[in-house]
Amino acid sequence: MANPSKELKVRYQQDLMIWRTPLLRAGLLTLLFLYILSPVIWESFVVTKFLDDIGLTMTTLNYAGVFAVGAIGLNLLTGYTGQVSLGHSVFVGAGAYFAAYAGSTWDLPFIVWLPGSLLVGFLIGFIVGPLALRLRGNYLVVVTLGLVFLGDHIFRNWKSVTGGSTGVSVTGASLKIGPIDFRNFEVFGHEFEKSQSFFWLIWGFVALVALLVKNIVRTRPGRALQAVRDRDIAAEIIGVDLLHYKTMAFAISSSIAALAGALFGVLQSFISPIDFGLLVAIQYIAIIILGGMGTIHGSIIGALVLGSLPRLVENISRDYDLPGVSGDQGGIGGILSISSLNHIIYGILIAAFLLLEPRGIAGIWMRIKTYFKTWPFSY
Amino acid sequence: MDSSRILDISDVTLRFGGVTALEEVSFSVKSKELFAIIGPNGAGKTSIFNCINGVYKPQNGSILFDGEELIGERPVTVARKGVGRTFQNLGLFMNLNLIDNLLLGRHLQMKTGFFSGALWWGRAKNEEIKNRQKIETIIDLLELQPYRYQPVGLLPYGIQKRVELGRALSMEPRILLLDEPVAGMNLEETEDMARYILEINNELGVSILLVEHDMAMVMDIADCVMALDFGQKIATGSPKEVQSDQRVIAAYLGEAS
Ligand SMILES: Nc1ncnc2c1ncn2[C@@H]1O[C@H](COP(=O)(O)OP(=O)(O)OP(=O)(O)O)[C@@H](O)[C@H]1O
Ligand SMILES: [Mg+2]
Repeated sequence: MANPSKELKVRYQQDLMIWRTPLLRAGLLTLLFLYILSPVIWESFVVTKFLDDIGLTMTTLNYAGVFAVGAIGLNLLTGYTGQVSLGHSVFVGAGAYFAAYAGSTWDLPFIVWLPGSLLVGFLIGFIVGPLALRLRGNYLVVVTLGLVFLGDHIFRNWKSVTGGSTGVSVTGASLKIGPIDFRNFEVFGHEFEKSQSFFWLIWGFVALVALLVKNIVRTRPGRALQAVRDRDIAAEIIGVDLLHYKTMAFAISSSIAALAGALFGVLQSFISPIDFGLLVAIQYIAIIILGGMGTIHGSIIGALVLGSLPRLVENISRDYDLPGVSGDQGGIGGILSISSLNHIIYGILIAAFLLLEPRGIAGIWMRIKTYFKTWPFSY
Repeated sequence: MDSSRILDISDVTLRFGGVTALEEVSFSVKSKELFAIIGPNGAGKTSIFNCINGVYKPQNGSILFDGEELIGERPVTVARKGVGRTFQNLGLFMNLNLIDNLLLGRHLQMKTGFFSGALWWGRAKNEEIKNRQKIETIIDLLELQPYRYQPVGLLPYGIQKRVELGRALSMEPRILLLDEPVAGMNLEETEDMARYILEINNELGVSILLVEHDMAMVMDIADCVMALDFGQKIATGSPKEVQSDQRVIAAYLGEAS
């Protein structure tokens, strides 16, 4: 017989793999292909062309990617650590304004201002984090809500950095890594459009952040976070330091939010305080509720769904005459404008998921999987 | 000081406003002893555990663990010194599976931080595998093999109690505080649990401080028993002595009437 301890080791290693089954590995490969090919074929391949026509353009996907990055950060804090925060948009904003200032005014290179954004987010989270030790549940929600207003105030009044209510341009921030420039992306002499090169940039970050955070949540620090969420007194008694883990959850979550903000800034080219208000904070919460609390892939799926939904609604109501909905954003000639229709759909989706499937789309997926695993037995 | 005493509690007084939960309670647990605390509801048994763990801070007295004062220390520090505990009303991480719960018991034995965890390859991965091997011995000891992968919240109550014992055990504690480990269990489950507790005590040499209402079990397995009533010690001694003590009988009759 072979060395039994070695066999055990192999078994544990298999337990520890993320892409455990052949099906999952095939899925990973497909995703990799989609990542590389999508920007090239999006407007020519028949299926993707259709998606593009109904509003799911490269640009839409890029915004969804930015939301996915931020949502993974929020999920680490809220889904995994159980600390509900309404202040996520402020951390996103901090990263975006830092990118604008350090990238344009200081003219720092990409590989400096981007980690700088992460660091700024980390520090702000590190300062805010200890609040969570004293405040629980609804109290924390209210205080983080206060943070949104504080952030808004700073964004509007620190004019030399933020440009005040008008906002500030982020086009000056360099996106060069060595020979690669994501603003003028070239491969073998072929020049790509901004939306194409940004897809590779942004979704590359989605993959990177997803992998790093997945690694955190499946090892000691991530287990400690989940212990804090499930039963904080028991966590302390087995040696989990609440202050350290709550603070780090805030710091890392907010550092990821700042990364999302920096990407958002360069993607949108221009940022102003309304990009980082309460509505955006709620959007992030909606994404992780819809996608699935305490899951990484749920954050991404939620961002894809809620990130593209407004564009789809917009396109559909423009192309088809929906009764009561005015054909343009102004709301002329109907009861509802498109943006209020969007808000209503958002609201209904959140309420429906909270009531019917609190574990989000990831939870539905889980149930389908269990169903097929145990098929044909339904018990 | 007698070095065979692992836990030495003297004159501990704990008040909540006007309520005196513990009044000048003193007792000591010898190394490798199985020491039981009995007493009617509200006698202050759980409060003693909370004082040891650093969750409550008694107004008076001293709690020496291996000669070191525990009063004033944070729960995390107490855990680091080697005190494991299970809760009366289950303190499990219900959304996590058995493996994660047991690995959390090894939190202090492990080192991976956020940075090395995020990078996974190398240190974090090795540590995961090494500690997984350690907890597998506990899974075997407590016969938890069928329950590795479901969230523990979905497991039957009797199994959950056992998982919690396993989590405390994976801390590699020097003393285990068990708060009513067989409450709400049927006879068979109770016998199993008693067997595990004896095994941990005898084979692994872990000292045990046990709070339990189930008299039959206490009388069977304890080396020494202390009875509490209204926060005061009313008797200590061998199980037999305490069982026949007039004040103990009165306290329990008083509760029954
Ligand atoms: N956090 C607290 N705040 C106020 N009073 C408390 C607190 N914890 C315990 N007490 C009081 O201290 C007394 C002892 O409680 P404790 O939980 O230690 O009893 P117990 O012996 O464990 O009882 P049971 O058998 O019901 O578990 C009770 O009167 C209880 O109300
Ligand atoms: Mg009790």
